[in-house]
Amino acid sequence: MKVLVVDDEPQIRRALRTSLEAHGYEVTTVGTGEEGVLGVAETAPDLVLLDLGLPDVDGAEVIERIRAFSEVPIIVVSVREGQHAKVAALDAGADDFVTKPFGMEELLARSRAALRRRRPDEPTPSVVRFGDLTVDLARRLVTRGDVALHLTPTEYALLEALVSNPGKLLTHGWLLRKVWGRGYGTETTYLRTYIRALRRKLGDDASAPGLITTEPGVGYRWVAEPTG
Amino acid sequence: MNVRDLLHPGRRATPVQAVIIALALSTVATGLGLLIDRHGDVIAVSFYFLAVVLASTSGGIRAGVIAAVLSSLGFTFFFTAPEYALRVARVQDAVAAVVLLVVGTIVGLLVARMIDERERATERERDARLLGYLATKLLSGEPLDRVLDDFASALIDPFGLLRCEVSATMDDTVAARRAIGLEGPAGPSQTLDISIGNISFGTLTAVRPVGGRPFTSDDRELLEAAAKQAAFALERARLDAQVRGAQLDSETSRLRAALFSSVTHDLRTPLASIKAGVSSLLSDEVSYDPAQQRELLTTVLEETDRMNRLVGNLMDLSRIRAGALVLAREQGSIDEIVDAVVARMRPRLPGVRFRLNVRPDLPDVFVDPVQIDQVLTNLLENAAAHSPANGEVQVAAASYRGTIQIRVADHGEGIPEAERERVFEAFYRGDAAPERPGSGLGLAIAQAVVVAHGGRIWIEGAPGGGTVVVFELPVRAGSA
Repeated sequence: MKVLVVDDEPQIRRALRTSLEAHGYEVTTVGTGEEGVLGVAETAPDLVLLDLGLPDVDGAEVIERIRAFSEVPIIVVSVREGQHAKVAALDAGADDFVTKPFGMEELLARSRAALRRRRPDEPTPSVVRFGDLTVDLARRLVTRGDVALHLTPTEYALLEALVSNPGKLLTHGWLLRKVWGRGYGTETTYLRTYIRALRRKLGDDASAPGLITTEPGVGYRWVAEPTG
Repeated sequence: MNVRDLLHPGRRATPVQAVIIALALSTVATGLGLLIDRHGDVIAVSFYFLAVVLASTSGGIRAGVIAAVLSSLGFTFFFTAPEYALRVARVQDAVAAVVLLVVGTIVGLLVARMIDERERATERERDARLLGYLATKLLSGEPLDRVLDDFASALIDPFGLLRCEVSATMDDTVAARRAIGLEGPAGPSQTLDISIGNISFGTLTAVRPVGGRPFTSDDRELLEAAAKQAAFALERARLDAQVRGAQLDSETSRLRAALFSSVTHDLRTPLASIKAGVSSLLSDEVSYDPAQQRELLTTVLEETDRMNRLVGNLMDLSRIRAGALVLAREQGSIDEIVDAVVARMRPRLPGVRFRLNVRPDLPDVFVDPVQIDQVLTNLLENAAAHSPANGEVQVAAASYRGTIQIRVADHGEGIPEAERERVFEAFYRGDAAPERPGSGLGLAIAQAVVVAHGGRIWIEGAPGGGTVVVFELPVRAGSA
């Protein structure tokens, strides 16, 4: 597994290199956005860890330029930003957002989740299980235990979008466009209503979630690990 | 010039107007005298007196005097023997002509002065009204630009101006320059200093249209008075700004001092633990067993988290104090934020049991979700810090009189009533808990954010001991 670290702080680069190499990753580090875009083109990494506050190019622009030719997972690793910067980075094509200072375990967990999502040689299984919840993506069936759940088409489309992007923070705008269509993007009230209904039917408690977590002002994330 | 101007030119009748008025009235008097009785000198004299009085009232003193002279000449020419000659044969006719001249002149003077006085009185009243109006505009407390606009536009009509320009200088720089009225070529204009003594606060330029009346000394006087009022208003604004600046300065330096002592203490304490832990582990002299290593590293991790929280809080507070808190508000539901914060806090605070009581179907709120998330996070962290081991923290949300009320209750030691307001001050820590971790900033930040949303935050005592922090957010009618 090759990881490209794009960060202008040498201390962070050193810390990430040491930890990631200890976990068996092959690490390349660069200090500018230009080098980052070039690095993706030249070394074809499996994962990019990107700082937003680079000295040369704006972080969101780096993401867009990488996305122009590569679908490599990008995790933004940045100091606490406002929700707009976060949403902008995610909408530009970033997969996830980890706030500095971060715990190494959190970063590794997010990295593993991102890598799992984008393994091109392994097709997404058509049936995914999360504990007693089973989602059959081919037959569009959802069961909990032995009971089939009756989801409306919109609820199912929302669930499908979430389940197909496990661990990824999906912005309001992205989910609205994905489920409702291209003309949508700001109707967060719809989204909230359907997320609430979906949580109720799936038996997920929003204040102690096992399936869907909320990032206020940003979006939602499917957090359940598949269980075979 | 229209007829009305001719009949009522007031004391502003020009010499030409005065001559026309005098000539017209004397001619009419002569005509009437000749028509009724060409030898009736008494009737003629009466008509001439009437003409002089009318000329004085309508054309002012000049018209009156000219009419008196003309009447005297007309009387001599038409009504005394020899006729059609400016000579008099009889002594009584000469006396009559002279008396006519003298009386006419005196009457003209008296009438003109009376009218003059009356007009001056009206004008003084109008000036006083204008100055009073200007005073209310200048002291309205509105922004400087607005005040200057109102001031300038109030001068346009009374002075018949094309435009009026006002500039205000503060501390030797032009603070505002406003021009009210129309563009176009300037006629007579008058520029005055807005000043008190030798302190200048700006300038006032009044511009009349091309062909407009030149500025009279009365105009200048009134403009001076207006400028003086503007000067007092600008002086007041300057003093206000100074007072505000001084307040801000003292607030800032007080905050800076508190910040300094807090930062040195609160940042150095975790730094000390971190440095001690890490340097121990790097030391070649001792070797630690894995359990000891873990112990040291756990301390390092906890202390970095503590530092991170403090730095985050300091950044929040300085952003708020600098007026840089910009709310990214959106329509949202409070229960979603409550759920998300509690979901995040549960694993972080395993020693606390959270109990939620959020009413279903609460109306939406128009808030910045990230900021309200921060408020709730701070309140839950506080509640957890003051809870006994395995204590319960309740979070309740309900709608109440057009607001959403969120209550965070703990079963800790509670806050004495006297301290319940002071705990919102930055760096304030209760006497009961001076050694607790925390920066003393959480509630100050929460308060600033809630107030920025147009809400309130306060502390109540819980019935069974403990603290309830309540905050209220207004529910915006309609959807955004």
